[in-house]
Amino acid sequence: MTQGSKPRLLVVDDEVQILRLLCHALEADGYEVHSAKSGKQALGDVAALQPDAVILDLGLPDLDGLEVLRRIREWTQVPVLVLTVRSGENDVIAALDAGADDYLTKPFRARELLARMRAILRRIRAALEPAVFKFGEIEVDLAAHLVRRAGAELHLSAKEYAVLRILVQNRGRVVTHRQILREVWGPNAEQNTHYLRAYMAHLRTKLETNPRAPAYLKTESGIGYRLMEE
Amino acid sequence: MHTVPSRDSAPDVKNPGLLLAAVGPNPLAEPLIRSTHRQAVLTGTPWVVMYVETSETLTALAQQLLEKSLALARELGAEVVLVHDTDVAEAIARVAKERNAGQIIVGQVSLRRWPGWLRRRTLAERLLAAAPMANLLIVPADAPFGAKPWPQFDLMTRSDWREYALVVAVIVTLTALGLLLPKSYYGQVGLVYLLAINLLSLRVGRGPILAAGVLTALTWDYNFAEPYFRFSINNRQDVELFLIYLAVALIASQLTARIRAQAHNERRRQERATALYQFTRGLAEAKTLAEAATAAGRVMDEMFATQTLVAFADDNRPTPNFAFHGSFVPEEREIAAAVRAYHYRRATGRLTTTNADCLGYFVPLVRDDHAFGVLGVKIPGGDKLSLERRDLLDAFAEQLALHVERTQLRAASEREKLLAESEKLHRVLLESVSHELRTPLSVITATSDELAEAHLPGFTEQVAEIREAGQRLSRLVANLLDQTRLESGALRPHLDWCDPQDLVNAVVESTQDAMVNHPLEIDVSADMTFVRADFALTEQALANLLLNAVLHTPPGTPVVISAGIEAGGARVFFTVADHGPGFPHNAREQLFNKFTRGATAPAGGLGLGLSIVRGFITAQGGEVVLEDNPGGGAKITLYLPHHAPENPPPE
Repeated sequence: MTQGSKPRLLVVDDEVQILRLLCHALEADGYEVHSAKSGKQALGDVAALQPDAVILDLGLPDLDGLEVLRRIREWTQVPVLVLTVRSGENDVIAALDAGADDYLTKPFRARELLARMRAILRRIRAALEPAVFKFGEIEVDLAAHLVRRAGAELHLSAKEYAVLRILVQNRGRVVTHRQILREVWGPNAEQNTHYLRAYMAHLRTKLETNPRAPAYLKTESGIGYRLMEE
Repeated sequence: MHTVPSRDSAPDVKNPGLLLAAVGPNPLAEPLIRSTHRQAVLTGTPWVVMYVETSETLTALAQQLLEKSLALARELGAEVVLVHDTDVAEAIARVAKERNAGQIIVGQVSLRRWPGWLRRRTLAERLLAAAPMANLLIVPADAPFGAKPWPQFDLMTRSDWREYALVVAVIVTLTALGLLLPKSYYGQVGLVYLLAINLLSLRVGRGPILAAGVLTALTWDYNFAEPYFRFSINNRQDVELFLIYLAVALIASQLTARIRAQAHNERRRQERATALYQFTRGLAEAKTLAEAATAAGRVMDEMFATQTLVAFADDNRPTPNFAFHGSFVPEEREIAAAVRAYHYRRATGRLTTTNADCLGYFVPLVRDDHAFGVLGVKIPGGDKLSLERRDLLDAFAEQLALHVERTQLRAASEREKLLAESEKLHRVLLESVSHELRTPLSVITATSDELAEAHLPGFTEQVAEIREAGQRLSRLVANLLDQTRLESGALRPHLDWCDPQDLVNAVVESTQDAMVNHPLEIDVSADMTFVRADFALTEQALANLLLNAVLHTPPGTPVVISAGIEAGGARVFFTVADHGPGFPHNAREQLFNKFTRGATAPAGGLGLGLSIVRGFITAQGGEVVLEDNPGGGAKITLYLPHHAPENPPPE
């Protein structure tokens, strides 16, 4: 993505109405949008158009959306946002494991879509960003390993900080339980979601104004966590 | 106790082989069985208790002792083997070889009263010769068991009167012919008699041969030896001849008896094999368990010449139902005995100590410590069931248990296959239907959202109507699809640790649009730790309850959602309480049925809400309880099983 030009997106869905809807919302937000109606076409377009991000529906008529994702991931790290239907959390987890950057459940709101888009596009620019990230009263300085609340330094344990760091690095994007557990507790702890629940509860107590109704450290039902951006 | 190791092979230390205890009808059997049991438990090896039935008839006391010992062996978990043979040592050696026994255990009475060269070789000594491969363990008894009873001849080998008649007829004929010969042929007549006895021994039993020997000796003496027609002999040579003659006749009779006994045992073995063959063939031809029961009953009726029954337990519940098949129609006492046989996994009824007052003898169908049912035979008062018959019944029970197990495994695998098929079909159908329904819904929702944000002057209300309709349709579609998922049996809860606060937050968030007119109170108990549940299913169950509350209560009335751990700690609860009209008293249970709506419910909705709630919660092992809210209104509680999670390791 070059500075100044519009980010280029590829939207893959077999439903014309959804396509139109997505295109309309994204173009209004300043993206250059291309569409593909099948998996095979999408694979060709990803190579030909070199988009900055891909929005991929998991239910495609010709190829399974997961298969399309895997083939894309074989040669490019282009950010991918997958679209899915409700009660498909297993599909979502599979897609995230296969390299998707985030997901969105149909029916969705345009606002949500745009927020996700911004978050996944930021990943490519991450290196250029300052190492300090703010949400609410909280300031996280990734370079100095420091967390401040309303200016005062906050003490976090090593694992609490590790969990927070992953969320901050992926802010605005969903992070699966498995991903966090593997990075913080090691590959053998992937099933121990209760560890993560416990640390998440600690983090919320320390970081949230109302830990019982968290505004930033959000739970994604059955999938993982997301740190909301302001 | 001392062990006599085999001469040419050390026992395999890794695989010691099974323990084979040979018992007799005597008081030594019980300690022998108990010590073998101890050893089997200690070494973890299987063990067999065997009894060799010889042609000797047992006294009532011995019979009783033997039955008691064998029952004990079965109770302690031994396999009981019954064989027929005239030679006990040979039989034990044969079984030891067949079953690859690592150790043979026999009892031995101290025989010090007799000088070594006089007494018969002991069982142990004979065994050592017959089975050199196995270790032999001899358990000595301190005292002999008392006088051996005078041998009685088995009824089965006793000859009937026709054989005696034949013997008499042959002797009379030969004597008549002999009398026609010159006197000097008296020696040859004796030889002809001897020939006749040897030939007769091929046809008749021990008694008639013995009788023939004595009778011909006397006839010969009376008719052919000098002085004629008197029971005395002048000539010393003739006396010797007479004695030798008598001896040959006796030996012939003894040999005959032994051959007959062996033939008889052979026949019994064959009968058993045939019976088992018929039984298993009957089972093999059966297509269903009921057919198997009928086939088994038919063979048993024939074999036992009495009424018999087969009962299968339907063990999907703690107190199984029994389906009785066969000609023996059990009454209350018999059913009680059969049920006990099933529960205790051992024989009950007549001839045992459990429910001895009933008319049947019942053995359980056991396989790998799992009982499938019971076999029973009717034994009218006074009648007995020989050891051999009991053994046969045990063998039948074993075969039938095997058959039931096989049938059940087959049925299970077929069910599994069917379920997989139905799941696959369901998934395909659900995916396409949900895709087809949700796509236009997505478009409607998203477009109306955009319109709402555009705040078109004069159209705000219409846009709000479209949004609301879209949301309602989305919920309906979701409920219908969930109901389908429940009914197809394809619902597999994915249990994971969930933060109850997260759950409640997710529910509140997903229902916030519908809840605008109902103030919501949230009360999650502070001591509540994580819950093992399917997040999505539980979230949806709770959302359905909230939406129900909204639907059934006037705007402005508060709704309370609370969560906590039940006293005792075994369950957690999530409660949704409202201050609406409450439940109609007579129709609580019906409310769980699909498409059933409360009589006072306002129009709208399919009545799937509670049915789905119950489906989702019971799938996770939980329970849904409807109650009246103490302050008026309805209160619905979801209970889920609970155990506290372990803490994460300290850092």
